[in-house]
Amino acid sequence: MRPHLAPLQRTSAFWPIVLAILLVGLVAGSLVTGAANVSALDLFRRGESGDILLVSRLPRTLATILTGASLAVAGVIMQTLVRNRFVEPATTGTGQCAALGLLATLLLVPGAPLLAKMAISSAAAFAGTAIFLALVRRLPPTQPLLVPLTGIVYGGIVGSISIFIAYENDLLQYISVWMNGEFSGVLQGRYELLWASGAAALAAYFYADQFTVAGFGKDTAHGLGLSYRTVMIAGLSIVALITSFTILTVGMLPFVGLVVPNIISRFRGDNTKETLPLVAVLGGVLVLASDLIGRLIRYPYEIPAGTIFGVLGTGVFLWLLFARPTRRV
Amino acid sequence: MRAFRWAAVILACGLGSQIALADALSIETARGNIDVPRDLQKLVVFDIAALDTLNALGVSVAGTPEQVFVDYLKPVAKDAEKVGSLFEPDFEAINALQPDLIVAGGRSSKQVEALSEFAPTIDMTIWGDGLLTQAIARLHAYGSLFGKEDAAQELEDDLNSAVNALKAQSAGAGKALIVLTNGPKISVYGKGSRFGWLHTELGIEPAIEDVKSSTHGEAVSFEFIRDANPDWLIVIDRAAAIGQDAALAAETLDNKLVAETTAWKSGQVIFLDASKVYIAAGGYQSLMGTLAEISDAFQKAN
Repeated sequence: MRPHLAPLQRTSAFWPIVLAILLVGLVAGSLVTGAANVSALDLFRRGESGDILLVSRLPRTLATILTGASLAVAGVIMQTLVRNRFVEPATTGTGQCAALGLLATLLLVPGAPLLAKMAISSAAAFAGTAIFLALVRRLPPTQPLLVPLTGIVYGGIVGSISIFIAYENDLLQYISVWMNGEFSGVLQGRYELLWASGAAALAAYFYADQFTVAGFGKDTAHGLGLSYRTVMIAGLSIVALITSFTILTVGMLPFVGLVVPNIISRFRGDNTKETLPLVAVLGGVLVLASDLIGRLIRYPYEIPAGTIFGVLGTGVFLWLLFARPTRRV
Repeated sequence: MRAFRWAAVILACGLGSQIALADALSIETARGNIDVPRDLQKLVVFDIAALDTLNALGVSVAGTPEQVFVDYLKPVAKDAEKVGSLFEPDFEAINALQPDLIVAGGRSSKQVEALSEFAPTIDMTIWGDGLLTQAIARLHAYGSLFGKEDAAQELEDDLNSAVNALKAQSAGAGKALIVLTNGPKISVYGKGSRFGWLHTELGIEPAIEDVKSSTHGEAVSFEFIRDANPDWLIVIDRAAAIGQDAALAAETLDNKLVAETTAWKSGQVIFLDASKVYIAAGGYQSLMGTLAEISDAFQKAN
């Protein structure tokens, strides 16, 4: 029990309502904010300015929400499968492997269609995450912090391979397009892949309970009549698809999958099936807020949403680490 | 006898330094005037703009970077020894070559101190608003260094007349926005940036007065371009500059927001040869090429 929060916790509708209000406010803010100087009224009139809404503002708003929501869900899945709260796709090599896959397509089959790029980078992300899971299984269960540390080292190694290849081929600035997540290039027709990422996140909702069981290990899962292998493959696929789709469209946004699930679990516990919608909404809210701040600080120029989230996310993460409530039962 | 020997040594030293002085030549570099030995047989060049201008003057070069990016310099690089990349010199190869002078600059300017261990090294960086002025200064420096003063003067005259002709054209051409595309993303450049000379020295009017300067431009959205509404878009495709054509600049810019600008509506979009203006900027041949590209576009619009 946490006395200071008790009245709030009793009404289970409190957090959903707060998040809904925040989301509506931010969406409205995002729709009226942009480099084009159009008044809020003109925005909704038909004609030239109506185009701005449909071509630029709405796609960008949707893109940030979809990205945030699906990355946060991917974070939950990783954390459930690994049974460790301090991992997420961007710190366990998944993102780095997806980027490496993209770099490989760029160098080996430069003119490859989008579908081929998607397939190769998703496959690379899948393989990379599977390797991480295999590594982690060999770690002593008494040392939970070894898991995120292994992830960071592993991700660092894969990332440096990409950077080395890019350096040798003078592609450093080019791969920064994937490494720094930002939404300035988002337009109607250039973000729709993120709906697929959102769909993968939705699929995760139906598997949520099975991920939790699989997290307890092979034997427990089999004991409860669950095909461990199938669930693991499903989980890894969802994580790999979300990661590679978002990197391909807007770039890597680290910390989202780490910070968001931790905030929610702090207030609402760990029932994955129940908290997953909240995680998704909070992910969307925070990434949208980061992008909005990035649009405003140096208006009309932009600061990447990934940078803003990195700063905010680090702050929140430190708060989570140091302000963990002591048990008062 | 001993006194005589000492006198001889002192005399020899004096003579030696006299000869050294007579053989050195003071030339203008990016770091002020520097004395450079006169009799240069073996030259290693670590800057594409320098290689470009030296090639225009007909100076032969013993060592070049592996990648020169610009088509017209590829034959030069093919005949020369490979001495590493612009950012990472191959010191073994340079040592083996024993050059008399190393010309660095721009991307390799951070290596000047390291390169000085092997041979006298000059920093011939050309950058930013005064690009043309600096390019002409470098041209004359190379001219006097290799005894090609007349050739240098001829090239300068050609360059000046091309610049003046373009200035006359750009006077009534309208406002332009310089856009760099990097895959699906864009950034803009203004006065004071690496492409600022297009505005300050060629007299092309900027569509946005106060774009802040940074090496890789200011990240903007397509809404920014729509609202800046330039008469001309000057586009540099960064990926094309380094030989990638995965996402073409035209594809990136072809969208409903850019389509609303005067530039797009009237087909006044100039796709510059990125290897010239981005990699070899300030080299004589690259300058003439870029000037011609802009001039042709202005010509067609009239």
